[in-house]
Amino acid sequence: MSGLEEFKDELETCFGTSCGFCERGCPVYQTMKIKTLCMKGRNRTMLGLLQGRFEITPAVVQAAFECTLCGNCDRWCSLKNTEHTQAFREYLLKHGVEPMKEHSSLAASLRNYGNPWFQPRSARNRWTKGLNIPKAAPGQQDVLFFAGCTSAVTKNLNRSLVASAKILQKADVKFATMGQDEPCCGSTLLRVGQTDAFNELSAENIRKFESLGIKKIVTACPGCFTTLKKSIEKAGSKIEVVHLSQEIASLVKEGRLKVKKSSERMTYHDPCHLGRLGGIFDEPREIVSSVANLVEMPNHGYESRCCGAGAGLQSAFPKLSRDLAAKRIAEAKATGATTLVTSCPFCETQLRTVPGIKVVDLMELLHDAALDVDRSNGNNRKTT
Amino acid sequence: MSYIDELVTALGKEKVLLDPSERFVYGADWSPRTPDEFIPPDVVVLPRTTRDIQRIIKVAYGNDVPVTAGAGLTGMLGGAMAIYGGIYVDMTTMNSVVEVDPKNQTIRVQAGATLQEINDAVQPYDLWLPHQPESKWVSTIGAAIACDNDSTFGVRYGKILNCLLSAEIVTGTGEVLELGHRKAHFTSSGYKLKDLLAGSEGTLGIITEATLKLEPIPATRRVDMIVFPRMGAAVDYLSRLLKAGLCIEAAHINCKRRLKFYTHSYRQKFGKDPIIPAWAEALLAIAFAGDQEVVESQRNYAVKISKDFEGQLVEEREIVDAWWASKYTLDFEPFKQKWPDSQKQKKFGAADPGVPVGRLEEFYHKFVDVAEKHNLEIIGMNAYLEHPNSIGFSLSCAVFVDYRSADEVRRFREFHDELSKLAVAFEGTMSTFMSDSNQKAPYLEVEHGASLKYMREVKRLFDPKGILNPGKKFPREVYKG
Repeated sequence: MSGLEEFKDELETCFGTSCGFCERGCPVYQTMKIKTLCMKGRNRTMLGLLQGRFEITPAVVQAAFECTLCGNCDRWCSLKNTEHTQAFREYLLKHGVEPMKEHSSLAASLRNYGNPWFQPRSARNRWTKGLNIPKAAPGQQDVLFFAGCTSAVTKNLNRSLVASAKILQKADVKFATMGQDEPCCGSTLLRVGQTDAFNELSAENIRKFESLGIKKIVTACPGCFTTLKKSIEKAGSKIEVVHLSQEIASLVKEGRLKVKKSSERMTYHDPCHLGRLGGIFDEPREIVSSVANLVEMPNHGYESRCCGAGAGLQSAFPKLSRDLAAKRIAEAKATGATTLVTSCPFCETQLRTVPGIKVVDLMELLHDAALDVDRSNGNNRKTT
Repeated sequence: MSYIDELVTALGKEKVLLDPSERFVYGADWSPRTPDEFIPPDVVVLPRTTRDIQRIIKVAYGNDVPVTAGAGLTGMLGGAMAIYGGIYVDMTTMNSVVEVDPKNQTIRVQAGATLQEINDAVQPYDLWLPHQPESKWVSTIGAAIACDNDSTFGVRYGKILNCLLSAEIVTGTGEVLELGHRKAHFTSSGYKLKDLLAGSEGTLGIITEATLKLEPIPATRRVDMIVFPRMGAAVDYLSRLLKAGLCIEAAHINCKRRLKFYTHSYRQKFGKDPIIPAWAEALLAIAFAGDQEVVESQRNYAVKISKDFEGQLVEEREIVDAWWASKYTLDFEPFKQKWPDSQKQKKFGAADPGVPVGRLEEFYHKFVDVAEKHNLEIIGMNAYLEHPNSIGFSLSCAVFVDYRSADEVRRFREFHDELSKLAVAFEGTMSTFMSDSNQKAPYLEVEHGASLKYMREVKRLFDPKGILNPGKKFPREVYKG
C-alpha cells in the first residue's frame, strides 16, 4: 500500500466527520464555491476514486490541482489534508494523467537549468556580485545561506538577497553560499505531484550538503525552508534548517543590528510555507514591529490567507490565482496600512500583480531601516 | 431537449455540474451512513440569484424532476440528500448580504450565507445573530430554518423562529413569495406561513433570502459547570433560577458520559479525561452574559442556590473551557481540531426527541436501555434548553456508530426510530433539531395522527407536483402523479 491508498482511512474519517470546517478558510473554495475544490470535497473525490465510483476525468484532475496546498484546511483539522492532495496528484500522474503543460515546463526547466524559471545556472550567482561571500567548500563553513531559485534568478528579487546578505554580514554572521552550484530544493516538483523526481533530487541535495560539512542552512525562501527542513529531517540528517527571519530576528533582539523605527502603519502577510506550514509567526513580526507600526489583517497567523501563488496554481490557473491575490490585497488595504510586508518571493511577486498597496520584502524593509548597514547595490561596499 | 439541457440553457454551463466525480461529492451529509452509501444527484446546480432558483424550479416543474436544496452538508439525518436523484441545488453560492440595518437591528441575507458569515457582517455594528449551532462555520441560514436546528443560546434567544422575521421562498411552481412580517418582530395578521418554513426541509419551497433579528453583543460572558447527583436535580435547579429572575444565556444538562465527548482539548492538554465527582450523574453547563457587574451578581447567586439542589461547582477551569471550546468557540489547538479526531473509528449519531420537563431523567434511562439493546456504544445525552426563559429542551441522545459496518448503521437507524416513537409515548415529540427527513417519514403519523392529512394538503398547495425534496416528511408516492 502506498501513495493515496495509504490515506484511505483518513479519507473515510473525513467522510465520517463531514464537518466541512475546512471550507471557511479555503481561499480557492471561497472564490469558486464548488465543493470539489475544498478539502472535504477533495477527500470525497479521492475516496470515490479509490472505491471505483468513477473514472479519472478532467473534473477529477481539476479537483486535484486547483489548490495552493496552503494548509488552511489542516489548521482546522487533525487529518493530513495537504499530504492527501499531494498524494492525489501523484496518483493521477501515475495513472496516466499527463502533467499540466505549465507544470511540465517547470519540471523541464528544473532538469535542464537547475531552476524552474528557464534561467541559466550562471544567473543564480548574479546577486552575490561584489558582496564578497565565500563559496561553500568542504569543511570551510558551518552556515550555508540558501538563496532559492526564484529570488536568485529573478533580477527584481535580487535586492532582497543582497539586503539579507548585508544584514548578516553587518551582524558578523559567518556564512557561505553555493554560488551557481546551489541546487533547487525541489518544492515545485513535490507540489505538482512529481514525487519520484523530487525524492531523487532531494537525496542528491542532502548528499551535497553533507559533503560540504554544512551544520546549518539559512533559507531566504519559505518554500525552500519547509521543503529542506522536512526532507532533511526525514533523511535523518543532523543539519539544522532555519528561515532567515529566525536568524535575523535574534540579531535585532540582541541589539546586534540597530534600526530606526517609524510610525508608518504596515501589515504583515504570513507566507503559507513560513507561517502555517513552517510554524514561524513571531520572528517576522518582531522585525516589522522593530521598524514600523504593525497592524494585523483579520486573517493572520494560522488563519492567514494564501496569496494564490503556491503549488502550481499561478502557472496553471492564473485567473483564479490573481483573484486570490486581489482578495488578500483588499484585506491588507482595509487595515489602513500603507505597506504590506512579506518574506517570500512568490508572495511578493504575486501580491505585486494587484495594485493598491506597496508590497515590500521583510529583509529589504529591515535593511532600509538599519542605521549602520551598507546601502550600496552590492557592487561597491561602503558604510553610510 | 433533456431537462439538463434546459438547465444549461437557463443558467449557463458554468452553473451546472454534471461530471460523476462532482455529483458524487454532493451525495452525502453528516448522517451515519457507510462510505459506499453516497447518493449522488443527477445534476448539481450553483445558483446566484432568486431568479436562478426560479429558472431551476420551472425546469423541474416542467419535467417532473425532483429538486433538493442543500448547503453545508452537515445535516445529521440526510434531510438535504437527493434520495430520488434529480437536481441538487447548492445554496452556498447564494451567500450575499443584502442589507444590514443597524438601527433596526436586522440583516437581510441570501439563504446560503453561513451563520458565521452573517455574524462577520454584523459584528462591526456590535450586533450578533445568536442562533449558534456547533456547525455555524458551515451551516447556512437557509439550512438553519429548513432544519429548525439547535442553538447554544436557546434559553435566552430561542430557536430560529425567534430570530426570523421574514423569508423569501420559491415554491414548487416557481412562484416567489415573501412570508413574514418585514422588520416587525411579530404579527397578529393572517396565517403565520413563515412559521411553516421552520423544519420544512425544503419541501414547501426553496428559501432564497431571510430577514433576521439581531441582538446586541453582551460585553462579557461567564460560563460555569455545576454537577448534580441526578438529572432531575439539574432541571429543578434551573427552574429555581428562572423563578429567581435570572437571565440565563445558555444551559445544557449533560449526562456524565457525555462530558467525555466535549472535552477533547482537555485530553489534548493533559493526556487524560477530566475527573468529576463519582456521585455526579448530571453536569450542567450554564452561561450568563451582559455587563460585568450583572453577570457576576447573577452567577454568584446561581452558584449559591446550587447548594440547595446538591449541586457542586466545577472548580477546574480547564474542564469548563474545554467544554465551551467544543460547544461554542471551536478554539482548538491548530491541526488538532476535535471533529475528525473524535470520529476516527466510529462517528457521532443521535436521536433528537423532546420530552416533558419532568420526565427527563426517566427518558434518559430509556435512552440507555435502547442504545444497549441495539448494541451501540453510548456517547451520552445532552439536554439543550432551547426556549427563551423556560426549561423546554432539545435532547441529543448520542451513540457512536461504526460507519464502516452496514449492520451497525442499520442498528443505529433502528435505535433512532425506537427512541423517536418512545418520545411520543412520553407525551413528547420525535424531533427537536434534526427534523424528520426520510428517516421518520414512514411513521410521522405516530406523532401527528389525523393532522398529517392537513400537512399533506399544505404541502400540495406549495408543491403540487411533489418535486421539492421528495421522500422527506412523507413518502414520495403520496404525491407522485
